Amino acid sequence: MEIVVCIKQVPDVPTVRMDRERMTIIREGVESVINPLDYIALEAALELRQKAGGHVCIITMGPVQSEVALREALAVGADQAILLTDPDFAGADTLATSHVLARAIQKIEPFPDLILCGMQTTDSDTGHVGPQIAEELGLPQVCGVNEIHREGKFLVVKRLSDGFVDTVKVTLPTLLTVTKGLCPVRDLPLGALEAAFSTKDVLEWNMTDLDLKKEEVGFAGSATQVRRLRTPPPRGSGDIIEGPPDVLVGHLLRRLEALSILDEEDEKK
Amino acid sequence: MRLEPTMKQAVIRRSVRKFSERRLIAAAVEMDKTEQFPWDIAEEMAGLQYFGLEIPATYGGAGLDSVSTAIVIEEISKANAAMGLCISVHNGVAASPVYLFGNAEQHRRFLNPLAQGKKIGTFCLTEPNAGSDASALETNAIRDGGDYILNGNKVFVTNGGISGINLIFAKTRADGKDLGFSVFIVESEREGLEKGPIEDLMGMRGNPVCPLSLRDCRIPLENRLGDEGGGLKIALSTLGGGRLGIAAQALGIAQASLDASIKYAKERRQFGKAICDFGAIQDLLAEVGTRIEASRLLTHRACDLREKGKKYTMESAMAKVYASEIAVEATRVGVQIHGGYGYTKAYPIERFYRDAKVCEIYEGTSEIQRVVIARELLKG
Ligand SMILES: Cc1cc2nc3c(=O)[nH]c(=O)nc-3n(C[C@H](O)[C@H](O)[C@H](O)COP(=O)(O)OP(=O)(O)OC[C@H]3O[C@@H](n4cnc5c(N)ncnc54)[C@H](O)[C@@H]3O)c2cc1C
Ligand SMILES: Cc1cc2nc3c(=O)[nH]c(=O)nc-3n(C[C@H](O)[C@H](O)[C@H](O)COP(=O)(O)OP(=O)(O)OC[C@H]3O[C@@H](n4cnc5c(N)ncnc54)[C@H](O)[C@@H]3O)c2cc1C
Repeated sequence: MEIVVCIKQVPDVPTVRMDRERMTIIREGVESVINPLDYIALEAALELRQKAGGHVCIITMGPVQSEVALREALAVGADQAILLTDPDFAGADTLATSHVLARAIQKIEPFPDLILCGMQTTDSDTGHVGPQIAEELGLPQVCGVNEIHREGKFLVVKRLSDGFVDTVKVTLPTLLTVTKGLCPVRDLPLGALEAAFSTKDVLEWNMTDLDLKKEEVGFAGSATQVRRLRTPPPRGSGDIIEGPPDVLVGHLLRRLEALSILDEEDEKK
Repeated sequence: MRLEPTMKQAVIRRSVRKFSERRLIAAAVEMDKTEQFPWDIAEEMAGLQYFGLEIPATYGGAGLDSVSTAIVIEEISKANAAMGLCISVHNGVAASPVYLFGNAEQHRRFLNPLAQGKKIGTFCLTEPNAGSDASALETNAIRDGGDYILNGNKVFVTNGGISGINLIFAKTRADGKDLGFSVFIVESEREGLEKGPIEDLMGMRGNPVCPLSLRDCRIPLENRLGDEGGGLKIALSTLGGGRLGIAAQALGIAQASLDASIKYAKERRQFGKAICDFGAIQDLLAEVGTRIEASRLLTHRACDLREKGKKYTMESAMAKVYASEIAVEATRVGVQIHGGYGYTKAYPIERFYRDAKVCEIYEGTSEIQRVVIARELLKG
């Protein structure tokens, strides 16, 4: 099975910080790591390769520094790595990002049987990119997958939706976005890391390689623009009222009244 | 000159840190308490090639450069100094000399299992009457036909209780003639080698350090590492690299101590504020932070010289003496910042303090490092 995994580099912090002026994520001084779900996608791809044979190719769109994420993915066990980078790719929204990724996937030979993405990222968290790639390539898609089995020319996958487990049978080629629980992430042997950085190659494709025009990519190719950025007000800690139940009930009623949450009718009942 | 870690080195640090935080931090407490070596964890580490850091891939090692190796040892020691000591000694003064001075047959028999973590290595130089003055060692190896017969006592053998392959330094003699030191690779199961009881140490209690005795231990010629009489050369070359391991280890302990101190100083409140708001505490943190940074630069610079095949005797001694003294200082200050709680086992800082001290002692005491540095300085 020929598999392409899309990976994105994200800041290695519990919560991202935003630059309010430029309306972008602050990446300076923060170490970047592979988006955790993309790591899972990569491990899943390697598991499938082990069972079904084939190759795993990883791609990322990002600045030249994203090469490090690709090299780490090579250490995990991917066969090929392609960096999609061009100064004009900067400022891309999810649509422009998906467009570049879709174009790159079309250029990969042979066309993959399976494309894996993370369900969402820890920094921008839109969950748009996978579905948009599938749409652009005209492929079936299943999002939020946490189990994959192969059945002949189909994949049978499971996803969790609203407390139900959906089992979906899908034809290849297809695109899946994956989520936690699909497979474990292993520790990396040091020799694999050494080899990924000293002996492996990372291919680089720019706008011309992908036969894209300036107006299709980056800021110019984006359909959305960030108008305003706000941090939601922090949730208060709430009041804790203590006492015996009969006292508490009266206390609570008075509080609710004061907030005009209870109307007269309710109170009479 | 490059002072920043490379992309590769940064990823290696993150990767080892992740493993260490998950597997080694909790184990450190247990190891200190029970003095039991966690074989299950060591096996995992073997799978990740932590036992063959600088050894080429052909032998099953990771083939890392020297700076990466120091980074790995620092991160492991930050989480678990006793395990850091095991890795540092195994790689720096056991696997490394077998690689550098061993022949093809010795590589096959000894380097493969060492690099793959199937056997743990030791370096046995110190004796009851030969500490700083290694030339006073009394263990002797007398040639007997194609074999050597070894007799003597070694003390303070790091990894002693868990080792499979031991490098023994001994005086070689034949027909009553003194031929100088040689190094012998002695398997733990060989008849005539006996391990003594584990030392009841102040710190590094998770590492089974013990004495080792040789009674008419018959060693075939094929087990001699390097030339007959070549022991001094091997010892000097090995200790140069070993000191970088100790420097990295000290750096890890110092960094763990600073991190713990910062965390505590932000949490602990007195006089209505966090104690990190007091100038006196800030001074302590600033001083330790600065020196740790300096130790790291010294250590990585010495590693870089080693990597480039240049002489680094003085630089590694500088890195070792500076980093180990900073580790002791950082942990002492750490206990101080933790106040009375720092003097209890409720926090790991008291263990860091105990673990740090020995860095000033083994692989050459601070006094001996200064002798080495001064000798190099005065050469010019
Ligand atoms: C408020 C806001 C402002 C932003 N402003 C800017 C801006 O000005 N400039 C800018 O460049 N970006 C900006 N972004 C980020 C940009 O829109 C996204 O990083 C990018 O389009 C991917 O979206 P996502 O991270 O939400 O991906 P998701 O759709 O959540 O990601 C799902 C999966 O798609 C794949 N994927 C996503 N991105 C990539 C990629 N680059 N390469 C390979 N695979 C990928 C991964 O498998 C990932 O797990 C902004 C985001 C937000 C929320
Ligand atoms: C936990 C632990 C693990 C160890 N692991 C190993 C190991 O794996 N292999 C191994 O071979 N050894 C090992 N050692 C031994 C260690 O290397 C020696 O303890 C060290 O070299 C000092 O020797 P000594 O203890 O005999 O002290 P001594 O040499 O007796 O020194 C006592 C004091 O005198 C000072 N001194 C001695 N000579 C001079 C001088 N010329 N100028 C100034 N001051 C001097 C010393 O600095 C020290 O302060 C280990 C020790 C410990 C505690």
